[in-house]
Amino acid sequence: MRNLITIAAAAAAIFASAPASAGWEPSKPVEIVVAAGAGGASDQMARMMQAAIQKNNLLKQPVVVSLKGGASGAEALMYMKSSDGDANKVLIAYSLIYMLPLSAKLPFDWKELSPVAVIALDQFVLWDNVNGPKTVKEFIEAAKASGSPFKLGGTGSKREDHVLTVFLEKKTGAKFSYLPYKSGGEAATQLVGGHTEANVNNPSENLEVWRAGQVRPLCVFDKERISYTAKVTETQSWNDIPTCKEQGLDVQYLMLRAMFLPGKVSQEQQEFYVDLFSKLVQTPEYKDYMEKQALKPIFLTGKDMIQFLEEDGSLNKQLMTEAGFVAK
Amino acid sequence: MSNAEIEIAVDDPTAPEENSPSVTSNRAVDVAVSLLLLALAVVLAWDNWRTGASWDSTGPEAGYFPFYLSVILGGASLYGIGAAFLSSKEAMETFVTRAQLRRVMAVFVPTLLFCIAMQFLGIYVASFLLIAGFMRIVGKIAIWKSLLTAFLFSAVMFVTFDIVFDVLMPKGPLEAAFGY
Amino acid sequence: MEALGLLLHGFAVLLTWKTLLLMMVGLVLGVFVGVLPGLGGPNGVAILLPLTFSMDPTSAIVMLSCIYWGALFGGAITSILFNIPGEAWSVATTFDGYPMAQQGKAAEALTAAFTSSFIGSLVAVLLITFLAPWISSFALKFGPPEFFAVYLLTFCSFVGLGREDKHKTVIAMALGLLLAGVGMDTVSGQLRMTFGSTDLLRGINFLVAVIGLFGISEILLTMEERLALRGHAASISLRTVLAVWKDLPKYWMTLLRSSVIGCWLGITPGGAIAASFMGYNLAKRFSKDQDSFGKGRIEGVFAPETAAHASGTAALLPMLALGIPGSGTAAILLGGLMVWGLNPGPLLFVEHKDFVWGLIASMYLGNVVGLVLVLSTVPIFASILRVPFAAVAPMIVVSCAIGAYAIQNAMFDVWLMLGFGVVGYVFKKIKIPLAPFTLALVLGSRAEDAFRQSMIISGGNMKVFWANGLVGTITTLAILLLFWPLIDRLVASFGKSTPPAAKVEA
Repeated sequence: MRNLITIAAAAAAIFASAPASAGWEPSKPVEIVVAAGAGGASDQMARMMQAAIQKNNLLKQPVVVSLKGGASGAEALMYMKSSDGDANKVLIAYSLIYMLPLSAKLPFDWKELSPVAVIALDQFVLWDNVNGPKTVKEFIEAAKASGSPFKLGGTGSKREDHVLTVFLEKKTGAKFSYLPYKSGGEAATQLVGGHTEANVNNPSENLEVWRAGQVRPLCVFDKERISYTAKVTETQSWNDIPTCKEQGLDVQYLMLRAMFLPGKVSQEQQEFYVDLFSKLVQTPEYKDYMEKQALKPIFLTGKDMIQFLEEDGSLNKQLMTEAGFVAK
Repeated sequence: MSNAEIEIAVDDPTAPEENSPSVTSNRAVDVAVSLLLLALAVVLAWDNWRTGASWDSTGPEAGYFPFYLSVILGGASLYGIGAAFLSSKEAMETFVTRAQLRRVMAVFVPTLLFCIAMQFLGIYVASFLLIAGFMRIVGKIAIWKSLLTAFLFSAVMFVTFDIVFDVLMPKGPLEAAFGY
Repeated sequence: MEALGLLLHGFAVLLTWKTLLLMMVGLVLGVFVGVLPGLGGPNGVAILLPLTFSMDPTSAIVMLSCIYWGALFGGAITSILFNIPGEAWSVATTFDGYPMAQQGKAAEALTAAFTSSFIGSLVAVLLITFLAPWISSFALKFGPPEFFAVYLLTFCSFVGLGREDKHKTVIAMALGLLLAGVGMDTVSGQLRMTFGSTDLLRGINFLVAVIGLFGISEILLTMEERLALRGHAASISLRTVLAVWKDLPKYWMTLLRSSVIGCWLGITPGGAIAASFMGYNLAKRFSKDQDSFGKGRIEGVFAPETAAHASGTAALLPMLALGIPGSGTAAILLGGLMVWGLNPGPLLFVEHKDFVWGLIASMYLGNVVGLVLVLSTVPIFASILRVPFAAVAPMIVVSCAIGAYAIQNAMFDVWLMLGFGVVGYVFKKIKIPLAPFTLALVLGSRAEDAFRQSMIISGGNMKVFWANGLVGTITTLAILLLFWPLIDRLVASFGKSTPPAAKVEA
């Protein structure tokens, strides 16, 4: 029954728009696999994609978001790994694809999956409570002078936030104790509540408490400032946050957001998704989302993407090794 | 709570027959369960010891709590074995009679087969077989009623989960033949 | 009084035919979703979320929150009729709700559950309406030591309650805590007790365990005792409902206590589960007739339901004001808000007044409409009990399997469910209590995380649990409750003064 409809629909599509490639198309609902819990940055991104795909009719099949946040996202990776050849599942990956195999000895390698596209880069910002020190310099001095180590909250253990904390320690000589929380949202409220002194959340995770004037961004861990100049708070835009390097703290880290299919999918299937996501990143919903979450635009596919992943992967491995987080 | 809810409803008109022989006593099961728990405690304690069960500068390590919990579980199981041997009351109590065991197996075995079948036939076909078979064989309900109920229930579940709500359930050759 | 004006404005936003129609649709869908064990609140809301993408934000959130209320109401139905809790916080409802259904008092139990849900939610909504700004600042006071103290309080309210052998309670708790620890440890990022299995990697899902422990084991026990699920022959009428309502004032203390516990725990994230257990335990502890709990006492339905729903409702407040969801369902709603470009946070109340007060007004309306809706459908649900057991039993088995599978799309979970079914059956027979086992399974890893985060903060010093008034009070209260049976006996032996709470009529 549905086959007939699909064939009819496909035929209609061919006649209606001749230039559209008549290649492979998903015949079942497409599952966006999220390697994090409900409400986290990946989940929000998946729901935005779901909405953008549906509103702009980019797919004939429905889109389903499936949350596989168990074991800090390891669940999602193993799920993708065990779905070889199933082109109805697409993973929103982030730096866990490099870090989890190292820290938890997870038998996983991103090379086993089929890369589709790198769609964004996420920034990290050093935030402190609005009642705390006002600049990076003051912050580091206060941390050094403090009797007990400054507490820094973050998501999970031996992951991006934890690595950044270790490098903060290494570069400044101040002592921090790292508090692992289940999500960035939790790390944000704990900072507002004064239970921690600082965090290194992504812009999206701290956006609302920043706008409410409860936290202060000290610097962004990137070579250049964030490009968005529209005012976010009453007085500041993302672009007003200095880079850490400007403030004399030479630490940089960006996190990828990329889409992967399971391994052993056909060339046609891979191309279909490359096409889908290149359309998706042109939608107003997507652009709006990027600006709101202060994500750095990037779109890489094919060889460029592989090259990027390889460089990024070895950089992450180096950081994890230096931080001492690689499990023996 | 335990088995309190059963005691209340024993006024059932078809109360279990009195003279069915006992298969095993509560004491025997209690000892067997305690031994199993003890074995589990030993395995988990060993695994957590390997993970690291000490108290370092940042508080307890990953294996600290599970390790000591395993020790507590092991201790309580040992105590349980001793207590079971000393209790003459438990030795008297029947765990199940033969007739009861047969009835429990009458529902457990089909459930087990259902779970196995689910992997090959998909959940909907397996549930059709389970419901129809159980109603006919255990419940002695007319065959047309059994088949109809089973079909309707499975079909409603299929429409609800796989079509309306897009919850993807395990499916087998039959669904594949229809293009799902 | 500013709140009142804003609330009236909220009602004005809502009272259009279109919105009211959406509310009804949402509620019906919600009840439906809550009854299906595979769906439940969070899944149901997540699945229905795309339906609302084409609406304006206010209509969409009204519909979604009505799905939420519907699911909350619906979750109680399966707990009472089949001993299968749809949500973690419905577990405590099964303790007395299911025995009531077995005694032919399903209609009373359902009425009690719906009514107390309504009362609990209402109290919480009132609280949200008038104390929103103050409450959000209270929630911020909760750091790791405070969270741990709350979990400790929940555990302590349990100890010494059962009549089972002490060592069996210890076994139940230790085993529950151990199983809760399987998977990845948040604090160190290490895997533990997984033995290299990828299925154990994600840990043992609480709902899977509960579906097996309660649903499957109940089928086995029912078969063994040859008891069919027996419905009440008499028709369920308005009289049943009124009879239950007439008795309500007798339980004012339980209702009040549970509402307070619920509101308090609801604004601290993840509190609904703890709230339902604590509500139940405290009702039992302060009752004159403790032994009748677990055997079909209506108070045992009132207490957990009121607490769970007060807290489920109150959980929306930290979600709106702070962006931290207090429950799984609230987390999905949060995702929904983001899709419409509404970012939950302190400024939401300032920048989107229409939306916030529309939502709060919909809490009032949704609850009232929902109560009428579910009460009028009680006869339909209760009539399920009159279907022959041989037909219902396999359907329950199938529903359990669908439920266990749908949670994480994993066949392994179906086997796990079956295993827990056998464990539940054997444990019930040799009197290893299931209640502390399930409690430990739910709260175990959260309590451990909070404890270890506190230790990182304090550098291993236990004094952190008495570091300030708030945490000190909760910790002391927990320890007091732990030794309550002892204290109670001491008090009783010094003159015949009974604690005031015991005066509540049984």
